[in-house]
Amino acid sequence: FPALEVLDVSGTGLAELGAELLALPRLHTLLAKNNRLGGPGSLPKGLGEAPLGRSLRVLNLSGNRFAELPPALLGLRGLQSLSLGGNRLHGIPADIQELRSLEFLYLGGNFITSIPPELANLPSLSYLVLCDNKIQSIPPQLAQLHSLRSLSLHNNLLTYLPREILNLVHLEELSLRGNPLVVRFVRDLTYNPPSLQELAGRTIKTRNVPYAPSDLPENLVRYLSLASNCPNPKCGGVYFDSCVRQIKFVDFCGKYRLPLMHYLCSPECSSPCSSASQSSTSQSESDSEDEASVAARRMQKVLLG
Amino acid sequence: MEQPVQTETWKAQSLEELIRILHRLFAEDKVSVEEVQALMESYESNPDEWLRYAKFDQYRYTRNLVDSGNGKFNLMILCWGEGHGSSIHDHTDSHCFMKILQGNLKETLFEWPEKKGNGEMTKKSERVLRENQCAYINDSIGLHRVENISHTESAVSLHLYSPPFDSCNTFDQRTGHKHKVKMTFYSQFGERTLCVSTRRRTHC
Repeated sequence: FPALEVLDVSGTGLAELGAELLALPRLHTLLAKNNRLGGPGSLPKGLGEAPLGRSLRVLNLSGNRFAELPPALLGLRGLQSLSLGGNRLHGIPADIQELRSLEFLYLGGNFITSIPPELANLPSLSYLVLCDNKIQSIPPQLAQLHSLRSLSLHNNLLTYLPREILNLVHLEELSLRGNPLVVRFVRDLTYNPPSLQELAGRTIKTRNVPYAPSDLPENLVRYLSLASNCPNPKCGGVYFDSCVRQIKFVDFCGKYRLPLMHYLCSPECSSPCSSASQSSTSQSESDSEDEASVAARRMQKVLLG
Repeated sequence: MEQPVQTETWKAQSLEELIRILHRLFAEDKVSVEEVQALMESYESNPDEWLRYAKFDQYRYTRNLVDSGNGKFNLMILCWGEGHGSSIHDHTDSHCFMKILQGNLKETLFEWPEKKGNGEMTKKSERVLRENQCAYINDSIGLHRVENISHTESAVSLHLYSPPFDSCNTFDQRTGHKHKVKMTFYSQFGERTLCVSTRRRTHC
């Protein structure tokens, strides 16, 4: 059937998809839900190189028995929509970034515990479903998914979100229910004091001490380039490895508070570090929330809607 | 309380007939919740009759107006993709009937939060509604969340609201805080509604 464009073999009890499929040059949609796929050889070898590999746009393998994302899939450079909902996945391979054309990724209802930052390298991803898994944290890199319009995270094990999530300016849907999100302000006081190297690095950066690559050993030049800015806008400091994790609320219109993880350069940083201002704790809390609030205003309509 | 001598039991053979009977029932001054629920349940879902209203959206569930009931009620079809769900909401003092046309929907009932609400909302009960079942809720019964918990099948439901309303409150499960929202139609009478403003939504 060389002209076949859509094939639905859902609910047929298949344990493997045969190599005959590889020769279908016009097949763009393959639905194989609710079968017994998942063992080795479920998908035909050489999928990426075959005519099918170039034509396939939509692949639905939900309701099967995959314990890992089948490596054979990774060759599907043109794939736009992939569903592996309701399988037995325990993780997502970093190689998922090879599915360069992916716009829709449904991984709900698995046993996924963590998300590889490489997922953020999918430039066209607009719909990401990770609900009903065992995810404990979201990598901040996920904020690089500029095209993301809908993110489904409900029914996981999240206690907080990275503050970078506020950078997802096109996000219209965000589901968070059924996560043990921290409601009250929590401060993580386990703080490793900075090393001398860290302190020196901070001084160089904050005092703008000039240096040229020829002045320093290569490893130190690289080290200095990895400085992160303290999100406290009153601080203007930097940190390298030594930081305080702090969960802060970003208050959306006073009605809804998302616990976001902030990295600060020191435990004192929730209050302004510079000598310029003096303020009470409650004001400093709202000051350091300002930066977050500005970004949050973009997401302000992300309310119970 | 006086029992009526004879309770009408209606059987709707088609969606068109269901709508016709609903118009007749709602033309009266008093409408019986049990009668409407039984009528809705009696209609055996036939996709040929409602497919043209069932417009799905990739990102979230859709509301598709079927009939505006001479102003007495709104009849609409909701389409739920895999994993799509609603927030916890009330029904603005109206009756709400929800019949499953295809697939399954989980309904979780919640108590109204305390006035000074600052704690997790209390779940009253939950159930999975099957094809052709019809549920009923109003504000005196409580609040609910409706979701398609299937990761493989979509769901379609038929809703009747009387009197019609276009705004309601949604509630944050973790705190009980409420927020008023306007509701819009994805399509009306089978035609896609354009110029719908995009709204950012967080479900909790």
